[in-house]
Amino acid sequence: MRNARFVGVVRAVRVIGAVGAIGAIGAIGLTALVSGCHQPASQAPPPAPSAPEPAHSAQKPIRIAMIAKSSTNPVFLSARRGAETAARDLSAKIGVPIEIVWLTPPTEDGQIQAQRIAQAVNEGASAILVSCSDAGKLTGAIDDAVARGVQVMTFDSDAPKSKRFAYYGVDDFRVGEQVMEELSRLLDGKGKVAILAGNQNAPNLRRRVEGIKAEAAKSKGIQIVGTFYHNETPQDSAAEVIRVNNAYPGIRGWAMAGGWALYTKTLLTDLDPKKIKLVAVDALPPELPYIVKGLAPVLLAQSSYLWGNVGVTKIIDKIFYKREVPEIIPMDPARVTIDSLGSWARQLRQWGFPDVPEEYLKLK
Amino acid sequence: MPRAMTVLRRLLRSQQAGLLLIIATLMVTLAIAAGSHVDESTGATVNNFFNSYTLIQTATDASFIAIMAVGATVVIISAGIDLSVGSVYALCGVVMGLALRGSSGGAGAVWLGLVICVGIGLAAGAVNGAMVVGLRVHPFIITLGSMWILRGIAFVTSKAESIMLPESLAHFAKAPLGLGTALYPVPMLGMLAVAALGALYLERTVMGRHVFALGGNAEASRYSGLRLGRIQVGVYVLAGGTAGLAAFLGASFYGSVSCGDATGYELYVIASAVVGGARLSGGRGSAINAMLGAVLIVLIRQSIRTLHLDQNYEWIIIGCAIVVAVVLDQASARFAARRLAEGER
Repeated sequence: MRNARFVGVVRAVRVIGAVGAIGAIGAIGLTALVSGCHQPASQAPPPAPSAPEPAHSAQKPIRIAMIAKSSTNPVFLSARRGAETAARDLSAKIGVPIEIVWLTPPTEDGQIQAQRIAQAVNEGASAILVSCSDAGKLTGAIDDAVARGVQVMTFDSDAPKSKRFAYYGVDDFRVGEQVMEELSRLLDGKGKVAILAGNQNAPNLRRRVEGIKAEAAKSKGIQIVGTFYHNETPQDSAAEVIRVNNAYPGIRGWAMAGGWALYTKTLLTDLDPKKIKLVAVDALPPELPYIVKGLAPVLLAQSSYLWGNVGVTKIIDKIFYKREVPEIIPMDPARVTIDSLGSWARQLRQWGFPDVPEEYLKLK
Repeated sequence: MPRAMTVLRRLLRSQQAGLLLIIATLMVTLAIAAGSHVDESTGATVNNFFNSYTLIQTATDASFIAIMAVGATVVIISAGIDLSVGSVYALCGVVMGLALRGSSGGAGAVWLGLVICVGIGLAAGAVNGAMVVGLRVHPFIITLGSMWILRGIAFVTSKAESIMLPESLAHFAKAPLGLGTALYPVPMLGMLAVAALGALYLERTVMGRHVFALGGNAEASRYSGLRLGRIQVGVYVLAGGTAGLAAFLGASFYGSVSCGDATGYELYVIASAVVGGARLSGGRGSAINAMLGAVLIVLIRQSIRTLHLDQNYEWIIIGCAIVVAVVLDQASARFAARRLAEGER
């Protein structure tokens, strides 16, 4: 009896499901066909340009899709915070709600990023702010978005051959050179040096490594023992440093294209600051004890908060105020040392990092 | 009218009814909950999910995984497993990228790209199959090894560079086929074609039935005189071929290749097959269901974004969905078996 009732329920559910499935599949086809008959977005007459009028625009929010490389990387979380702060401030200023739609994948994948650009356009985003994991994969998606009337800006890692209107970030080759300049100065121009390079597929990191090598080639006393790649997680990168140090006991310095290894505390105890020096890109709160201990006397900080903050500001300049925005907006890395640690720590706290050690905030 | 009822009844009894029900329910929920926006160019209000762009984009996202899932399903039906499909995908793309570097493009480049991708995929599959049969090592171990080896070859040959492909490949994979600007149905059509061919192969050919026989009961198959080694090599060749085809479509669609492509996709592929009802111990599976499994997984991913749920929960939600789908499927199978037994009594 119970079985008979259950069979009845299953049948009923199946009937409803099948009807729904048939309806849904039919609707997909119909929608696609109807849309095919519509005038394509790119061929439609462009909306007449008009001066920004807050009272009128207040009815229609501006939605900016933000697609960083990976949502597990703290620098991109700080970029998101910067974008959200800029959105809040500019909303109040121009009288139009600005919404940041966070579409960053959990791990780096250019293909997924390309899919999310398409999704943002499909869902009516006003503009897109993206850091490209793979410029080649994203170029087509960016061009498609622009063709459908959505402005795209890149930050941190560019897609220079795409139709994005602007790029904001450091000159990666120059940053690489700066890392090696600082390290060479710390080592008095001589010694064995290893390069920590992160993901071998990331174009911006490859440029930094090229810069490091180019600068090292200028100094006769500096010998590069190797370039070491790893998964961009704190544990993997710190393990790689320890492995390489064991394999090359004579290493006196590490040129780090990113600060991943310094997000752990392992190297604070495993490395001796009298024997080895590190210079890394980025200076987030977990990395600051390395400056104090003297292991990393210099960190070259990308102001990751500004990626989002400046990115959103420039997008609003472009799509709301209709202002000209330069195609390349350079970011200079901040040189963080023991002398500037206090002001940098306060800056980080102001940008919303809750985990800045209190003792650094009291420094000059 | 009776004929229509017969068709409807057949549809309801089909293996696909359950998955279609879930997909349809999810789609209807998304269409209701997604909200809408005003199209800048037309001024029309557009549903954030139920619009042609999002639907075709979702099908496109699913297509590369679904094509590989059809091949993986054939392997799983034979009681094997192939962990190397993501690496085969990357290797096929990289070799095609290197071969077409500097090419002037045109239809020749498209055909050459297709031949290279499918050829490399078939060859990689043949090597996997030959090692499984020849070395008598469990396919999990063999394909785990080849997953790293093939990824490594892709890395060394490409020097970890991202290689741009000739424009003609993107023109092919992004042909609108009359649907309008920014609607690209080619990968979706590729997925449907591969699923249909897979279903034909498995259900309407002798070779396909041999695969079921091997996975269902290898000993009985051997005593029946089936050449098990040949069948085993054949299923890995098919899996490699589908990975090559997916690589061709994926690389052409996105316009570039790198050795990191499709990293971790093997798990999505196997998950699609399993969600589609393939039994890991062999003897059961369906090409159409594998495609629907891939569509469901991508739809779940899509729904997290469309509903603006926290992205950080993506893996948890997908993991739970896979477990729930498989548990429901097993419960349904047990229930059907019990009913069958009761009917026989």
